[in-house]
Amino acid sequence: MNKVILWSVPLLLLSSVSIQGVSEALPDKQAELFTSPKKPTDSYLPVRSLASIPKGEFGDKVRMGYQLFVNTQQLRGQYVGNELNCSNCHMDAGRKANASPLWAAYLAYPAYRKKNDKVNSYQERLQGCFTYSMNGQAPDNDSPELIALSAYSYWLAMGGLMDQYQVAGEVPELSDKALVLGGKRDDFSLPEAIASAMTMDERAKLAGRGFPAIPKPELAYSPERGAEVYKAHCQACHGDNGQGLAIAGIYSLPPLWGPDSFNWGAGMHRVNTAANFIYENMPFGKSITLTNQQAWDVAAYVTSKERPQDPRLTNKGVADLAKQYHQHQGYYGKAVDNGPMLGSKAYPVNPDK
Amino acid sequence: MRVFACLISLCLLAQPAFSEPLPMPASAQLCVGCHGPTGGGIEPVGPRIAGLSAEYIAQQIALFQQGKRQNPIMAPMAMTLQGDKITQVSEYFASQALPEIKLHIRGDTVSFNEPASTLVYQGDWGRLIPACVTCHGSSTLGGGQFPRLAGQQASYIKTQLLAWQTGTRKGDVDGMMASIANKLTAAEIDALASYLAAIK
Ligand code: HEC
Ligand code: HEC
Ligand code: HEC
Ligand code: HEC
Repeated sequence: MNKVILWSVPLLLLSSVSIQGVSEALPDKQAELFTSPKKPTDSYLPVRSLASIPKGEFGDKVRMGYQLFVNTQQLRGQYVGNELNCSNCHMDAGRKANASPLWAAYLAYPAYRKKNDKVNSYQERLQGCFTYSMNGQAPDNDSPELIALSAYSYWLAMGGLMDQYQVAGEVPELSDKALVLGGKRDDFSLPEAIASAMTMDERAKLAGRGFPAIPKPELAYSPERGAEVYKAHCQACHGDNGQGLAIAGIYSLPPLWGPDSFNWGAGMHRVNTAANFIYENMPFGKSITLTNQQAWDVAAYVTSKERPQDPRLTNKGVADLAKQYHQHQGYYGKAVDNGPMLGSKAYPVNPDK
Repeated sequence: MRVFACLISLCLLAQPAFSEPLPMPASAQLCVGCHGPTGGGIEPVGPRIAGLSAEYIAQQIALFQQGKRQNPIMAPMAMTLQGDKITQVSEYFASQALPEIKLHIRGDTVSFNEPASTLVYQGDWGRLIPACVTCHGSSTLGGGQFPRLAGQQASYIKTQLLAWQTGTRKGDVDGMMASIANKLTAAEIDALASYLAAIK
């Protein structure tokens, strides 16, 4: 145990400096999305059946994007350093409303970010999920993987808009260069019926985007109470130690913490993001619904466990990083239950399998 | 290539089927008349129970005993088992090897052309039905509390899905399987039963 931690630190430094190959610190690409509560009147963009993905080169990219999204493990050791697949959090292969669907995401980029004073393209957002949620090393700009994931997202978004506004025909093809930018730009070409129905800003805030915000808890959230919720309603699938369940070596019940889950830089490590996700989407299949308080408590429990390191860690240490990047509802740099400071015994970033 | 190597090494860890089958304990003698000597199942007398996890078998015996699973034939059989005997029969049947199947990994196929395989591999989220493989494992191979469905008798799969609908089968955590079974149509149940039985 201790050994792992000891050598993980130099390894981390190495990965954030040389492997990532960026001169500046990694930007906060998982900056919090704007979230709003769900409204009973919300209606969501329709999604086309996968069978209607067209034949040919463009359709092949869309299909590859789908396959990478549901079986991201095929990139294990290359771009992925944990046991997750994109679809574990973006459910129904990125199509489910209120589980951060790709069709809503695509139309919201490029996005201006205050934090790094920079316009983030869609592919940069995808890279963020590789670095943090997948605890890996992001594919390069314009790589086949990012083009394919962009193509799949674009096809879902455009197909949905076309069906909603009764525009017949196949989704118009885009060049690779255009695909990776995202759909929130003035030169993004749209059929007239769609362009006149919604403004660009409205398209960037489609109902169902992200995870809907739930009200603040009545009592301050508590990992201790969360442990009880976890035992009763989560452990059956995610294991007594958050380790998930692999059947024949394949995890479809994903790990929630520990070495094989998302790292301390991922959006899901924030208590509020996890609470929103969990309330809306868990227990899986929704055979029961948690109360608002239970969702916050169990989110606090899950996010107060050790996981892979935040790849932005420098030799200034955990406390410094916590000050710089963790001024939100989360446990990085804090101690729970008289345990060690979280982050101080974090698991390696992008380890070999 | 790398992926393949990992898969094979992990399979060895994950599939108890590779270990030696245990010798039959006396308490299992009663079972073979309906479930077959190694639990392979005798249709329509008793389902296949070989290769289910010991945890799952023991849990089902408890559910029959508590009346949460109601079945006039199997319930009295469960009553004959107490204490150590439950562990013995569970481990015995769990240790029985089943034929290996070529795994279908999520994403191997992008679109399916009939409803049963679509439900099995992708679900129908419009009705909040997740893919069966998410819980039951790739190709519904099963593990832990999730029973293997691949190659199980079609008639048995059907009666179980119907049992949840009529309320004669209960006891799954938070009704996670019940809530899915309750959403299936009669035609889907028939199609799923024969599709799953045919995964060999
Ligand atoms: C551990 C859960 C998790 C996994 C796994 C994951 N993501 Fe995410 N993803 C998130 C969260 C959380 C957000 C942002 C929500 C927030 O910060 O409020 C997000 C945001 C996104 C967005 C932007 C959404 C929007 O509306 O702006 C895209 C696109 C995305 N992820 C793609 C991916 C891809 C591609 C993968 C796989 C390579 C992936 N994600 C894996 C949790 C995850
Ligand atoms: C019936 C099984 C089941 C139960 C019970 C369940 N989950 Fe999940 N959970 C899943 C599955 C499956 C996924 C991945 C979704 C997918 O791939 O479609 C998931 C995904 C997640 C994720 C995002 C992925 C990750 O690895 O972090 C979180 C967080 C999560 N669950 C938390 C919970 C919490 C908290 C509870 C209890 C309130 C819970 N789950 C109950 C099956 C379950
Ligand atoms: C007289 C026939 C008969 C005998 C003998 C019998 N069973 Fe059964 N068993 C059944 C039937 C029929 C079912 C299906 C019940 C149902 O539909 O719920 C069943 C179901 C089961 C199941 C549930 C399988 C699953 O996949 O959920 C288990 C476990 C089981 N039996 C174990 C045993 C054991 C152990 C013995 C010996 C002590 C035994 N049975 C003896 C007929 C029998
Ligand atoms: C949310 C997780 C989950 C999903 C998704 C799921 N199941 Fe299940 N299933 C279970 C659990 C757990 C059990 C065992 C229940 C128990 O312990 O009594 C089960 C049991 C069963 C059984 C009884 C098997 C036996 O040996 O007795 C059948 C049949 C079945 N499931 C079919 C399906 C089908 C078909 C689908 C897809 C439409 C599906 N399941 C999807 C969790 C799930």
